Amino acid sequence: MKEPGRATGRNSFRFLPAVFKNRFFLYGISILSFLILWDLIAVLKVFGAFMPRPEEVVRYLGLMMVDPLAGRTLPLHLWASLQRVFIGFAVSVLIGVPVGLFMALNPYFNAIVKPVFDLLKPMPPISWISLAILWFGIGETSKVFIIIIGAIVPCIINSFNGIRLVDPELYDVVRMLGGNRRQEIWQVTLPAAFPAIFAGIQISLSVAWTCVLAAELVGAPEWMGFIIILGMNLSRPAMIIGGMVVIALTAWLLAVAVGWLERWVCPWKREFQ
Amino acid sequence: MAGKMGMSLEEGISVSKKKIICEGVSKIYIQKGVQKVHVLDQIDLEVGENEFVVILGPGQSGKSTLLRIVAGLESATAGRVLLDGKEVRRPAPDRGLVFQRYTLFPWKTVLGNVEMGPKLRGIPKKKRRETAAHYIHLVGLDGFENAYPHQLSGGMKQRVGIARAYANNPEVMLLDEPFGQLDAQTRYFMEKETVRIWETEKRTVLFVTNNIDEAIYLGDRIITLEGKLPGRKKSTYSVALPRPREHTDAAFLQLRHRIIEETQLLL
Repeated sequence: MKEPGRATGRNSFRFLPAVFKNRFFLYGISILSFLILWDLIAVLKVFGAFMPRPEEVVRYLGLMMVDPLAGRTLPLHLWASLQRVFIGFAVSVLIGVPVGLFMALNPYFNAIVKPVFDLLKPMPPISWISLAILWFGIGETSKVFIIIIGAIVPCIINSFNGIRLVDPELYDVVRMLGGNRRQEIWQVTLPAAFPAIFAGIQISLSVAWTCVLAAELVGAPEWMGFIIILGMNLSRPAMIIGGMVVIALTAWLLAVAVGWLERWVCPWKREFQ
Repeated sequence: MAGKMGMSLEEGISVSKKKIICEGVSKIYIQKGVQKVHVLDQIDLEVGENEFVVILGPGQSGKSTLLRIVAGLESATAGRVLLDGKEVRRPAPDRGLVFQRYTLFPWKTVLGNVEMGPKLRGIPKKKRRETAAHYIHLVGLDGFENAYPHQLSGGMKQRVGIARAYANNPEVMLLDEPFGQLDAQTRYFMEKETVRIWETEKRTVLFVTNNIDEAIYLGDRIITLEGKLPGRKKSTYSVALPRPREHTDAAFLQLRHRIIEETQLLL
């Protein structure tokens, strides 16, 4: 108000009532406009008859919660998918993080592993499906295998880069204070690389979700991917979108949980949230 | 010129034991296998026990490299550094180094940073907590023990850096342009604090700066380097002013004038 005409940033909206500046109010506006747009598209039949209205999807979700599809209700399908995601994700972290760390810390190990890793890394996980079926059959193993193929990559890359990007002067500090090589690794390398490693773990988790759908194309009687495919076969778009919504919500909830976990284990990063 | 005023190097430290001795320290970096960069040329210097010596030189005069060699983080191409008569070969906790970029551990609190030295040396928790608390108090950070570095201002960060170096109870303190990143007011204040801390817990100090006022304000003795590579020692000045010093004091300004005139450096 002091300098009219020079208002910048949030000041330029100062004539708006306070409620319009509330973050959660704006979130609500965002979701609501999305739903209205969606409903309009459905009602105007922009995509023909195969676009359900939002309330149909909600109704269908409610139906699937209690009515078994292929012998299972929606939560059980979701649970089957979640289990695969967790197993594949856990294995990826347990193998990927140490491999990435070791690659960064040991130049010989790096020289041996990196060329192969660089060669395999750009292959889309889905391209492994056929091989996975031939190797492991259509059971759980091949699905978890696909998830690992996808989810292990960010774990390795981020652990590797996290260590390479540690401020080298911090090593000087530890050496001046009397630390040895082992202490350099435990007191500097690992804690300094931790945020990057954690970011890799977060990416891994979302990749695992992306991969679970691909993995479930391998075939199984209970899975979220099954619901989406079934919806297509039965020409029930509400079922497809319902499945998509459930997957998105679950992945989002998991990401939020991991975010909380990070704030808990990296308190020094709080400011940057 | 330095001798004319009766403040020669020899007289300046004849009263005390020699703590740090640099003998003909030279440093040549070899870049990409062939190209040589001559950084330091035949540096001789002596620092007496509990003496505050400032190395004054502009950027790119090799002064930080000299300090890193004394610290043991880099090795001299020729010559040697003696600490208490023993040759310096590698970093060790008998030298406390305060870095230009604060280089605090961002994942550690103030307390965690300050107690790092004793922790690395295997001092029991209770003992090192006491030591850390003592030095946190000395640098005036009481109440900030549990703050993380990103919550501190630049001046406070460097206080942590000083406390961290002190907490290892080093024989000598090495400070590498520690206040170069601070604004003028904070810098001036930190210089006063440095004198207060040093007078409370005397140590042999080797302080590197490019700021002539800082050098005169702090040092018992000032060693100037030539303004270009390779770094060579230019002259030595004893600062016989009583502390606390005043930047506007006539003798202060006189010495400032003399150093600028003699070194021909834009300091």
